[in-house]
This record gives sequence, C-alpha cells and structure tokens, in this order.
Amino acid sequence: MPAIRTHASRTKKPPAGFDDIRDDLEVFNIKMKDAQNAPTGNLPKAQAQWPIFQIAHQRTRYVYELYYEKDAISKQLYDWLLKNGYADAMLIAKWKKQGYEKLCCLRCVQTKETNYSSTCICRVPKAQMKDETKDIQCVNCGCRGCGSSD
Amino acid sequence: MLRSTHKPSGNAPPPLPPGWTEHKAPTGHTYYYNAATKESTYKRPGLAEIASPAPPPPPIAGANPNASFLQHSAIPNLSNPAAANAWQAQFNAPPQHQQNQRGGFGGRGGRGGNDRPRPQPRDKPKSSTPIPGCEPWVLVYTKYGRRFVYNPTKQASYWRIPEKVMKGVIELDIKGIQDKATGDKSASAEPTTEPKDGDTEMAEAQEAEEEQQEIGSDYEEVEVTDSEGEHDDDNGEEGEHKSKRQRTEEPEEEEQGPVEFSEEDFAAQLQAMGADYGLDPGEYDDGDPDAWPEGAEGLEISESDSRELFKDLLADHGVNPFSPWEKLIDEGSSLVDDPRWTVLPNMKTRREVWEEWSRAHIQLSKERRAKEEKKDPRIPYLAFLQAKANPKLYWAEFRRKYRKEPPLRDTNLADKEREKLYRDYIARLKLPLETQKKDLSALLRGVPLKDLNNKTPHENLPSQLLSDIRYVSLQASVRDPLIQAYIETLPPPPEEGEAVDDEASRKERAERRKREDALREREKAVEEQKRRQRRQLEHGRAVLREEERELERAQHVDGRKGIQSQLLAEREKKGADAGAEGGDEA
Repeated sequence: MPAIRTHASRTKKPPAGFDDIRDDLEVFNIKMKDAQNAPTGNLPKAQAQWPIFQIAHQRTRYVYELYYEKDAISKQLYDWLLKNGYADAMLIAKWKKQGYEKLCCLRCVQTKETNYSSTCICRVPKAQMKDETKDIQCVNCGCRGCGSSD
Repeated sequence: MLRSTHKPSGNAPPPLPPGWTEHKAPTGHTYYYNAATKESTYKRPGLAEIASPAPPPPPIAGANPNASFLQHSAIPNLSNPAAANAWQAQFNAPPQHQQNQRGGFGGRGGRGGNDRPRPQPRDKPKSSTPIPGCEPWVLVYTKYGRRFVYNPTKQASYWRIPEKVMKGVIELDIKGIQDKATGDKSASAEPTTEPKDGDTEMAEAQEAEEEQQEIGSDYEEVEVTDSEGEHDDDNGEEGEHKSKRQRTEEPEEEEQGPVEFSEEDFAAQLQAMGADYGLDPGEYDDGDPDAWPEGAEGLEISESDSRELFKDLLADHGVNPFSPWEKLIDEGSSLVDDPRWTVLPNMKTRREVWEEWSRAHIQLSKERRAKEEKKDPRIPYLAFLQAKANPKLYWAEFRRKYRKEPPLRDTNLADKEREKLYRDYIARLKLPLETQKKDLSALLRGVPLKDLNNKTPHENLPSQLLSDIRYVSLQASVRDPLIQAYIETLPPPPEEGEAVDDEASRKERAERRKREDALREREKAVEEQKRRQRRQLEHGRAVLREEERELERAQHVDGRKGIQSQLLAEREKKGADAGAEGGDEA
C-alpha cells in the first residue's frame, strides 16, 4: 500500500502574523461548517447553497482586505492562506480588475452557463434596472447586486 | 427687609389644640403634626367642623414623588419640641397669606395655578439671646446669620445696635468666641434660649419693622432694603421661571444657605442644581448666556471630533483591529449601546472610520512587535507546564484540556516539540529530588559568567536557563533558594569593557583588526617587493662589475705579444712540469 502523503505546504506551520487572525478565521470556519450542516428542508433548490457562497465571499474578502487594503499581513502569510484554502484566489483575481471590484461569486460572471450568454442579474447596476425599487436576488448565490457603481 | 409673616387677626385660623404643631411640607402644603401621638395630617386638627382655610389637597404622587417622601422623612426630626419650633418658625406662613404678600412684589400675579410656593431666600429670626447687663434687650439671630437687637418690653428692634446695648453685645461675642475655642458646644452663643413660638416672633419682627419706620430718622439702621428684597426676589423669580423645574431640595438647602444671596450666588446655585439634574447650562436658560461656563452651550461637535470619539469607542471596547467589520456588527451590541456610536450619522461613515482606525492600529502593533526582542517560545510554554502539567495527564489529554491557552496556540513552537517537552517534563517530575538538584547545579555551572553572575537580578535570569527543562522541572520553592545561593557565590560580571561590549562594538573591533591585518599584509608585500628590487639591483651591479673585470683583463693582455707570452708561459709551465717529472724519475 502506498504511503499516504500529505501536502507538504499544508503541514507547514503558518508564517508569523497568523496568530492575529486565527480567531477570526476560526469564526468563519465555524460559520461555514454550520452552514454546511444546516438542514435545507424545503428551501428552493437554488437557495440551498446561498449561505455557503456568502460565507466564502466574506472570508475571501476578509483576507483580501487584510493584504491589499490594510497591509496587515505579510506576503508569506497571504500565500499560505491562499494555499490552505482560507481565501479564493480566483475571486480575488477578479476583484483586482476594473468593474469587478465587488463581484459576489465567480458563477455570476460565467456567461457560458447562461442561455443568452449574459451575466447574472446581480451584475446589472442598480441604475440600469428597469424597476429600481424591486429587490432581486440572484439564483447563483443570493446576491442583491454587486455592480461596481452600486 | 425682613418679610413679615404677620397675619391679620380676622383671617387667622383658630388656634391648634395643645400638642399639635403646624408645618409646611417642602411642596408648600401646610400640615399638622402631633409630636406625642406621632400623627400627621393635612386637615387642621381639633376644630374639624370649622372650615380650615382652604385645606390643602394631598400632593399628587405623580407630580412630585419626592415631595411626599421628604415630608414624611422630615417628621421624625420634629419629635424634639425645640426642633419642631424652629421648623415651625421657618414654615408657618399659610399659603394664601404668602400669596397676598408676594403680590406686592409683582412677580407672581400671572401664575395662579401653581400653589407651590416659590423657593426663595427668606430671612427669619432664628434664635435669641438675652444680652447680659441690659436685661430687657435680647440679641436675635436670623436664619442667615444676621442679627438685630430687640427690646420686648418696648417692642423695639434695631439692626444697628444702640450704644447702650453695644457693650453687652460685645461681651456676649467674646464669650461666644471663648466657648467656641473651648469646644463647649452646649454653651455656644447661638441657640442658648429656645426660640419663641414662631407666630409671636414673626409678629415681633413685623412690629420691629414698623417701629423702624417710625424712628427711621433717628437710626439709619436699615441694612436690608426693599430694593435688595426685590433684587433677591427677581433672581429667584427668574431662576424659577426660566428653569421651570421642581426644586424639592430647596427648603433644606435654604437652611444652611449663604448669608446673602447675590446674583452670582444664584447663578452658581442654578448651575449646581442643573448639574444635579444632569443638565448642561445651555439646556436650561438662566437668562444670562455670557455666564455659562466654557463649552456649555449647545456642544457643536466637529466632524473630526466625532471621528475621534468613535475611534475612542472602538479602542475602549477592545475591538480587535484585525477582525472583520461583520464581526463588529454581529457582536457589537455593547458598542451600539454606547452614546458615542451615534456621533456618526450613518453606517458608511462608521465603517470608514473603523477602517482608518484598524489600519492605524495594525501599523502600531506591527511597529511594537518589531521593537520587541525575539523571545524563546519555549519559555512561556515551560512556565505553563510548570503551572499546569501533572503526571496524571497524558499528553493528549493535556493538550485537549488547555488547547485554548496561548502557550499551546503559539505557532512558533511546533506541536511535536511541545509534546516532547511535555513528556520530558513529566518524566523529570518522577525523578528523585536529589538528582534534580544535581542537574540544576550542573545547568547553572554551564551558564557563562557573562549571563549569570552575582549582579543578575532574580527576575531576569538568562533565557538559556529559563528554557531548560532542568530548570523548570524543579519546584520553585526548592529551586529559587538554590539559584539564589549559587548566584551569591559567583564573581561579579567580567570586565566593565567586556560587559559593555555589545554587538556593534565587537563588530567594530573585528573590522579594525581586519584593517590592521590588511595593513600588515600590505606592508609585508611591499617589503618583499623592495627586497626583490634591491636584490635585482645588486645582481645587476654584480654583473656589471664582472664585465668590467673581464674587460680589464682583456685590456691587460694586449696584442700578439699578449698571446705569445701567454703561450710561452704555458709552454714554460709544461717544460717545468716535465723537468720535475724527469727529476723525480732520475
């Protein structure tokens, strides 16, 4: 039987500065676990995953702000966090692009998945909505609007 | 002017039955108290069928809860007749009478609905003392500490003390001062005699006043003039009118009030009362905005101030600057309850300020950490082990039990290392004490003198010692005396110069040595080169000399003759050799 190998970087101890944010990340972890274990009951099928997306977004945003906006964590720690799944590197990559600063999830910009090759409703700026007062939530992640101009 | 409480006889209510006294509640209601039966009532006792003049209704509890409380709490004080009389003397004017009288001052006419008397300073006779030597005369003290002389027989009273009585008064004063000095309170000058029944005293005061007016030309004794009375009144009026507050404490305050109320006194009192009610001077209007203390008026918070306030709030509540904003919102109920939360208009600005604050704080903590020296992570862990570990716990149990403790969460120490230390520590705990002591002394001997010497403070042992399992595993009670004893036997720290030598100076010295070495090297090289040069020079000279000598020799052998003679010489030499041989043979 082959030896079970764990990913070398995963077992590596976190770089300095992790102690500062560990508790908060732990809170996100707990929230995520709770969301995963929450009974979906008779929720609409699309809504079942909304909390998961939401928490993933919040956690990624947290790491992103710590590194890019507040300069609170080191490059090493940031890389370590990405590697260990504390943040979604792909989503952060989108946030760096103009027009995607507030993107809620990657599914919402995936035009190939929609019938008319369009993005999700939440990507439409509030100003361009036909009925501005109407409160919409997108099907993918429950986003209420993530246009940069909102 | 002393306000008269004189009642016209026609209007006077029937006298009270014996044992009853009349009192005024702080609300202004008149009530009656029987000291013997400890009974109090609003109805005028004794003559119930005769309609008492406008029997005051019981106070409305909602309107002034304090009032009824104060009224009842005041009663027990009056069980002593003297106190009761004094009390009565202050509060015995019936309300309707006051109303009439105050009408004269013109301040009160407009507000008939308010039957509560307006609190205001009113001077009243408080006690009287017979003046020794001039028998009929008595010296009367008023509530505010002023005094006048009164002659009961002639029913005359004067603010200014007549000359014939003056001597006695001075005597009395001296006696009072002496009494005070000896601390004999019972013989103090003021309340030596019991004050008389309030009504009569008031009447006397009134009559004295009248007499003053009659003989006013003889004595210019009027110190308290109408104008001052009005003045006081105006102030009181203004204060009450503007603040429109119930001041139930007022009667008590009056008792020990200042001697004379000036305008400043009123302003100060108003402010003090405002402070009692938690109001800023700007919130009630005393009609004199210039006199408000600095910053009292409507507190205009500038934007930067409010931002700073919000930052203070964040700091005071121990918000972690690394935490996300959502966490603050989810758990920040104590934050929201704080009044400083509302200094910022909306959530957006709050978030902005929070971001600013957290950024600054993260920077601060970074700088602080950079300044802090690197500490061996094992030291706190071992200290924790010493406090908490015990042989009954396996490592797994121990780790589980204390997983939340900071020494067990420190990422600088690997879990493996922690486990190893734990096991070592537990193993060492089982060793006999003697062995542990021996190990400790071996450890102590191993520490260089530079780190551990007789100047080392006990709290500041070197980390080499603290991070060693042999140090930790021995109980502190056994260990510390051992270390202390060992430290005392040690010599002082090595040479001052060496002690001072820190990293920088050592580096500098090394540099210098290197420079000197380089110099020496270079000198050596130069020397070598010089020597070589010299040798070359000498060699050259030698070659030259050799050539010269050759040349000289060549010059010496000149022409043919030279060669011939040479050959001849050679031949001769040969011949001689042969001859010598022949001779030898022969």
